[in-house]
Amino acid sequence: MVALDPTLIMNVLLIAISGTLVCIAVHFIPVGGAPAAMAQATGIGTGTVELAAGSGLVGLITASYMYANEPAASMALVLAAGAMGSMIMIASTMFAGSLIYAYGVGVPFASAQIKKDPFTGARQDLYMSKGTQGQGLPTVCFVSGIIGAALGGAGGGLIYFVLVQLYSQSALIGTSAAAVAGVFTMGVFYVNAVIPSYGVGGTIEGFHDPKFRRVLPKDAVTSFIVSLICGVVAVFIGGGLL
Amino acid sequence: MVLDLTMSMAILALMGALATIAGCLEDLESDVGSQSNPNSQVQLAPQMNFLHRIYNKAISGEPISNGLSAVTGGIVATVLLDAKFFPLIAIVIGAFVAAVIYGIFATTSYAGRVASQTRFKQPLYMDIMRYTTPSIIAHNFIVAFCLVAIAYIQYTLLGYPFTIPFLALIWGISVGAIGSSVGDVHYGGEREFQNREFGCGLNTALSGRIVRRAESGLRNSIDNVWFCAKFGGPATGIGLGLTVFFSSWPTTIWGYTWAAIGVGIAIVAVFVVLNRLIEYQVKNAYGPYKEEKNEKEAVAVAHTH
Repeated sequence: MVALDPTLIMNVLLIAISGTLVCIAVHFIPVGGAPAAMAQATGIGTGTVELAAGSGLVGLITASYMYANEPAASMALVLAAGAMGSMIMIASTMFAGSLIYAYGVGVPFASAQIKKDPFTGARQDLYMSKGTQGQGLPTVCFVSGIIGAALGGAGGGLIYFVLVQLYSQSALIGTSAAAVAGVFTMGVFYVNAVIPSYGVGGTIEGFHDPKFRRVLPKDAVTSFIVSLICGVVAVFIGGGLL
Repeated sequence: MVLDLTMSMAILALMGALATIAGCLEDLESDVGSQSNPNSQVQLAPQMNFLHRIYNKAISGEPISNGLSAVTGGIVATVLLDAKFFPLIAIVIGAFVAAVIYGIFATTSYAGRVASQTRFKQPLYMDIMRYTTPSIIAHNFIVAFCLVAIAYIQYTLLGYPFTIPFLALIWGISVGAIGSSVGDVHYGGEREFQNREFGCGLNTALSGRIVRRAESGLRNSIDNVWFCAKFGGPATGIGLGLTVFFSSWPTTIWGYTWAAIGVGIAIVAVFVVLNRLIEYQVKNAYGPYKEEKNEKEAVAVAHTH
């Protein structure tokens, strides 16, 4: 029987919070799905789940390596390492994607949701091709994607940080704490990357998209509840079934 | 294992090179087999009466299928390493097994997808299956080899806390995510609609109306990979290479400190500026679409009246 001490409840809550962070992060990442792969929508030409998981997992690698080399590292440093890994992955992906949109497909970048880019002041509507929902990655989407990756990486890092400490005390899986924590983090990541994809429905441009405000609260609450359940399961894994 | 700075940088450079090759080949594999989002057009074409000779695989989303392939390679390599095989041989055999399994998925997926299109009269070309499938296997072999090699280096030399199969899985998912985000746009946005004016922007009404004639004869997937190898593949390689290199470079040089995190953020800021420069350059080079003229004319007309 697992005793309900405050540390355990704290761990479950931290996993729930980090799961919610991952869910919020997905909303920031500008994904255009299949239309963006044909330059028919603004954003990165892939699905929400795939990209969020791809970037978050790179963050998981950097966060785990930071923790392995600096076991005394503060929680903030491990989270920052996760955020850094994710941001670098998404930034280099979006940059390489921009090269293709610019020189491979030959379309100027335009957002369909705003008239002017809030960062650069560049007009967007004039550059939108007929019959499309914008194309490429304007600066506002790029910045939004990086914010999202930072949140996702930090969320993934937090789950890992909590779990690896929890599991290393376990008599059952203490020797392979990092592996189990890594796999479980990946699971929580996928769960929380899938939940928003129902809300955003395939495409979202980032924080400037009206969809962002509309679906974020519902998704965040759903994700918090689901991650809470994940947290409880995670604690049970450490203690075994009995 | 503790390495000095020169050796760490050498290993990092090697990992960057392996990642670049993996990224490039992953994208080319998804072009020769036609996978991920652009494949929606290949799948849709017969419904628009556009029968074609393009391989139609799409085992699953690219991250998942490449993750599967990489983790298979990683597991086989780990088993062989435990049996005291020489590391290079173990990785090669692991990658080979992964590629063959991938080839099985590709074949069944192609047959299954085309079979589901019987009512649209899309034939299943056996010659396409015979000479495109080995190409898919070959591309995937190189991808799996590079990813398992990266995982091996990270686990054995750099002491990452995760095992080889798990690291390979993560890199497989990442390479798929990058390939699907970067290189596929070149295949879907340009190659499939190459008969349209360059930079015209693809009206959604064009969906499914893919190009079926090649530079010579009827177009097949080998023609597509030939074209995408010129830009889409290398750009994907740059994407993954930069990811692998820059995600480890700050901690290699500045240690596991806040300084390294600061450098990482600075790198990201440089990417934002570079993207803005590209955006600025293409907007100036290509100019706005016709609507602006109409809008200006409309405004001018409104003013004159």
